[in-house]
Amino acid sequence: MDVVTQAVTFVFQWQNLAALIAGTIYGIIIGVLPGLGPSAGMALALPLVLKWHPATALIFMGSLYKCSNYGGSITAILVNTPGDASNAATILDGYPMCEKGKGGVALAISATGAMVGGTIGMICLIFSAPFLAEFALRFGPAEYFLTALLALSIIAAVVQGATIKGLISAGLGLMLSTVGFDVVTGHLRYTFGWSPIEDGIPLIQALVGLFAVTQSLVLAESAESISRIGKLAGGFWEGVMTYFKYPYAIIRAATIGLFIGILPAVGQSSAGLLAWAEAKRESKHPETFGNGEPEGVISSETSTNACMPGDLVCTIALGIPGSVGAAIFLGVMIIFGVIPGPLVFKEKADVIYSLFVALVLTSFILFLVGITVARHFALVTLLPNEIIVPVILVVSLLGSFAIRNLMADVFISLVFGILGYIMLKGGFTPVPLLLGMVLGEMVEINYHRALMISGGSYSIFYSSIISKILIFLTFLSLAGPYWGPIWKKLTQGGK
Amino acid sequence: MFKNLSKSLAFLSVVGVSLLLACSSANSVDFPKKPIKLIACAAAGGGEDTEARGIAPYVEKYLGVNVMIENQPGAGGKIAFEKFQRTKPDGYNLITYTFPKSIIIEYMGKTNYRTRDFTPIFAWSRSNQLLVVYADTWKTFDEFLKAAKAKTLAGGLSGRGSTTHLAGLVAVDELGIKVNWVPYEGAAGSTAALAGKHLDFTLCLATSAVPLIQAGKLRPLLMFSDKRDPYFPEVPIPKDLGFDVTPIPAIRGVEAPPNTPPSIVKVLEEAFSKAVKEPAFIDWADKRKMVLHPLSAKEFSRIVVDTYPKVEQFKEMFKE
Repeated sequence: MDVVTQAVTFVFQWQNLAALIAGTIYGIIIGVLPGLGPSAGMALALPLVLKWHPATALIFMGSLYKCSNYGGSITAILVNTPGDASNAATILDGYPMCEKGKGGVALAISATGAMVGGTIGMICLIFSAPFLAEFALRFGPAEYFLTALLALSIIAAVVQGATIKGLISAGLGLMLSTVGFDVVTGHLRYTFGWSPIEDGIPLIQALVGLFAVTQSLVLAESAESISRIGKLAGGFWEGVMTYFKYPYAIIRAATIGLFIGILPAVGQSSAGLLAWAEAKRESKHPETFGNGEPEGVISSETSTNACMPGDLVCTIALGIPGSVGAAIFLGVMIIFGVIPGPLVFKEKADVIYSLFVALVLTSFILFLVGITVARHFALVTLLPNEIIVPVILVVSLLGSFAIRNLMADVFISLVFGILGYIMLKGGFTPVPLLLGMVLGEMVEINYHRALMISGGSYSIFYSSIISKILIFLTFLSLAGPYWGPIWKKLTQGGK
Repeated sequence: MFKNLSKSLAFLSVVGVSLLLACSSANSVDFPKKPIKLIACAAAGGGEDTEARGIAPYVEKYLGVNVMIENQPGAGGKIAFEKFQRTKPDGYNLITYTFPKSIIIEYMGKTNYRTRDFTPIFAWSRSNQLLVVYADTWKTFDEFLKAAKAKTLAGGLSGRGSTTHLAGLVAVDELGIKVNWVPYEGAAGSTAALAGKHLDFTLCLATSAVPLIQAGKLRPLLMFSDKRDPYFPEVPIPKDLGFDVTPIPAIRGVEAPPNTPPSIVKVLEEAFSKAVKEPAFIDWADKRKMVLHPLSAKEFSRIVVDTYPKVEQFKEMFKE
């Protein structure tokens, strides 16, 4: 306990508190700018903090890393442009809320979600990091393959109502996920000699197209504003109150986010999408999801923000980064002489616990920024479309370009913009497409790897206990929609 | 942040304009007169990018102009290499990457560049490949080798066509063992899978395995190097164990476009070689456990030429 008291006192020294606030604000700004994610943000800030006290520097970097996701949710909600891939699911209900004039409410939900999700994630990180890391290591290629299958089975729930169109969209996503360099065989697939897609279809560039460009086209059709009712309805506090009306959704989303964060080989971008899809599946009124359902924003934001501390579990406890952002944070820690691993909790306890205290505090500062500054951003939804559309287009395409300094990426975004527009007009939802793109590669590569390890024997897929549980859950998830009615019939029939 | 962004945007436009306007100032020794662009063929924050950003301030000191880093990730650097092949050789555009990945890419498919055409300037660091196993399994390399000869083991790689893959192929060839290679995207995946006992062994750059070795989960058995690594003095090298394995180290350095005039190369080489001797840079490198191993333009060129046949020998195995 002594070490925690010391850490709290340390963080409240003026220079550390200043670093914490500066990191939070810098992180939010980085998040707002499309194309600049936490990784680029940390790399750009590194020369600035190199001479600082290690703990102060890590506090700055940590809060930057943790808060950039919130910044991305602001643009996702207000102008349909994801700041980073992890914000994709926030768009689905956040933006429709804006159309109803409830931009302020949605912003409040995302700020509260960032605070609550982040805090739940941090509590798990602080109290059980070594245990959780051991758990994550038990996931080998076979377990990852089954996890991805389980995640894909959620598509069945997402497409309910428009099954055929949903499956077409999912199939397209899975097909697109095969484009590029096949890590296992070393072959290039479906690139037609065009090198910009050799790493696969770049996700953020595709998202910018599917959401920002598509929406610009839609907005350009009418001369109104994003908020269709022309004014703002509902205040910030309404959003905060709404958030806490869904305790079950919060716990479910935080669990999903944390689980995905802890597994080093599952991308952060799927955390929000899966939590959103799961919320829709369990909802009594799934049709409201995608049309401005607050629970959608709650699930997505709580999940992504719980995912980030989960990401740090393996990074700090074992030195295995769970994402690109975590890898850079790991590099920063090493530069400052903090070598991650089980020993770090003993040898550098002062630095690590200061970092933890700071990461908890930064959630609350972020919430304060939300209620004082960000709430006013909702006003952009009142701007006339002829002003906001060119701004969205230019800024989002610039972001698309900036990721790799490549003009081809702007082209990719435009192609996905047109695809998104056609899908929208044809009544296709982009969610299965995204899930397919995000999970397809994970399914395929880990299937391959598992068979390489086992020498071609399929027993590897059901030999461990974790595998058996995952297979059981997948069956449950697939049979769920049919089981419900049958169960009802059986019980009623018995009467 | 906004300052940084606007600065780099301003810089980009300056470079753009000056590229259009710049004429053949190349032959004069009056170099450099404007900022230099250093292209890192990886995303911001990776090893290549970090080293580039680490050395840039000290190079600036000796060149007297700004050195700006531009990230051009994508297709393992292929996009950047192909662009670089056609870049004007005026010394204002330089590239940094982990050699010899550019040569491996050439043998993996069709490319519109040749690494041997680039003009080597200077290399500052090298990293060696390390063979690690799960701590509970084999205690020495001999035990490992015996097991590997008895049955085919599953070995983790940080990517097909990576410098680690090349090192693995060379080793397997010379040790006479058979391996089921399981490629990952980066060392994080392959070391994690080993720590969870899903693989028998993993090859990775020495620095990637430090935390897991310190945690007692992984045991380093062999360092593929000519001499012992200062950060892993206790790990044997092939020579110690009586094996004749020619290691191919991963080298980080800087190159200029094809046909860069020697007068410019000289100015740049001098600036980089002085920068590497700066105490502050050495201190920074030590914190990152970087093995500093300066190579002059001449030595670097020789390594480029020597590496081609070694890679060619294994070209079929990169894409089986």
